Amino acid sequence: MVSVAEMPESTSQTLVNQPAPRPEPQTERGMIEIEHLNFKYGAHQVLHDVSLSIPARAVTAFIGPSGCGKTTLLRCLNRMNDLIDAAQISGGSIRIEGLDINAPGVDVVDLRRRVGMVFQKSNPFPKSIYDNVAYGLRIAGVTRRSLIDEAVEKSLRSAALWEEVRDRLHVSGYGLSGGQQQRLCIARALAVEPEIILMDEPCSALDPIATAKVEELIRQLKQNYTIVIVTHNMQQAGRCSDYTGFFYLGRLIEFDATAKIFSNPGQRQTEEYITGRFG
Amino acid sequence: MNAPRHILGTFDEALSSLRNNVLMMSSLTERSLDRAINGLMQRDDEMCAIAIADDEEIDQLEKQMDKDGIDLLLRFQPVASDLRRVVSAMKLSSNLERMADQGTNIARRARKLNQHPALPEVELITPMYKHAMAMFKDAVDAYVREDVQLARAVVPRDQALDDMNSAAGRRLIERMAEDPAQLRGYLNLIFISRCLERVGDHATNMAEDAVYAAAAEDIRHQH
Repeated sequence: MVSVAEMPESTSQTLVNQPAPRPEPQTERGMIEIEHLNFKYGAHQVLHDVSLSIPARAVTAFIGPSGCGKTTLLRCLNRMNDLIDAAQISGGSIRIEGLDINAPGVDVVDLRRRVGMVFQKSNPFPKSIYDNVAYGLRIAGVTRRSLIDEAVEKSLRSAALWEEVRDRLHVSGYGLSGGQQQRLCIARALAVEPEIILMDEPCSALDPIATAKVEELIRQLKQNYTIVIVTHNMQQAGRCSDYTGFFYLGRLIEFDATAKIFSNPGQRQTEEYITGRFG
Repeated sequence: MNAPRHILGTFDEALSSLRNNVLMMSSLTERSLDRAINGLMQRDDEMCAIAIADDEEIDQLEKQMDKDGIDLLLRFQPVASDLRRVVSAMKLSSNLERMADQGTNIARRARKLNQHPALPEVELITPMYKHAMAMFKDAVDAYVREDVQLARAVVPRDQALDDMNSAAGRRLIERMAEDPAQLRGYLNLIFISRCLERVGDHATNMAEDAVYAAAAEDIRHQH
């Protein structure tokens, strides 16, 4: 079990351990506790005995080559894989604040409200900016206009989009730039007040300026949310995240503070991957 | 370098070029210091002039290494051991340049000494020079071979050089009192002794950088 909370402080006097103090998790146990997780697509096992403790109110990045299982694991965290035939957890557990999310009787809709998701390609609904953000609230049964107005503004402000769209809330979300659309999707996720936000390569289709805005947004959001991000951009993982997990062939090879992973990783495979000496 | 090949051949080429320039600078610095000391011991002004002229090439190499290092950081954004290798190479280059400056200082002092009768106390310099150069060569070897044990072993050897410098200083001050006519000569020898003590300090810095490059460990300021 790789637990940040339980990780011993390194006694070696490495440069990597000295400059950036490791952020302390909010609780003794992680916000998300993954224990001995195995996952299969049909007969093909894609996650092998993954154990990981994801701290609250911090950014945790999953990195690794394509097909290593990082997106599959991310999608396990709000049971998005339930939507795929023959996909199943074949062992282990995922607990969010102690709740086994795969236990019988768990309300998947409520789980996905608590655990929001932002995808690789921005996917606003063919609706106005306002209606995109209000969508989740209406689905949840909120009808009072004042409440919805308030939530839309708050979410757009949290997503650092309010100033750019406040005068055109009722135009189509499709009229926004790619970066704005992605922040709109983040605002949509925030509107239902999740505790955790999952991001699956959220900047892969964005230009460097839009990417920087999303990264800055991630930095601000972690004050209030637990964020898990899958990225192929290792500079992004280095910039944005507090903790990094490196996956290879469905196994978690190493999990540690990002500063440690990118300056002096403990595992040879991690070192070879992040330095471009892989395969 | 023991690491497997980088996916980008251009990165390996750039890193290899940076390391080759460290070796080139090391060789030139060693040669410059040798020439300066030979100029002193053999009272050869021509040799001293060559040692002083050597400095220009080393200065240019330092600038080239800074440029190449920054270019490599910009183009490839290396991390982990690659980043340490680049940063260490740039720090070594800075230490080598300062070491070569000590060679120039020694050569200048030697030229002044050569204008006056030989002082037997010049022999105080020989063991210091041998000790400093041994430290220097081991520090470079440790960096090139990524030999952490050898690099660590260099660091405590600086104390002996400091002690030799102190002893030489005391002896030369005594001689100044005994033989004030040669005061300037003894003073020049004190400065040369100080230069070699500085060479040892730079060798220590290089050994510490070699440890950082190979083991990600910061052993500076522990002694």
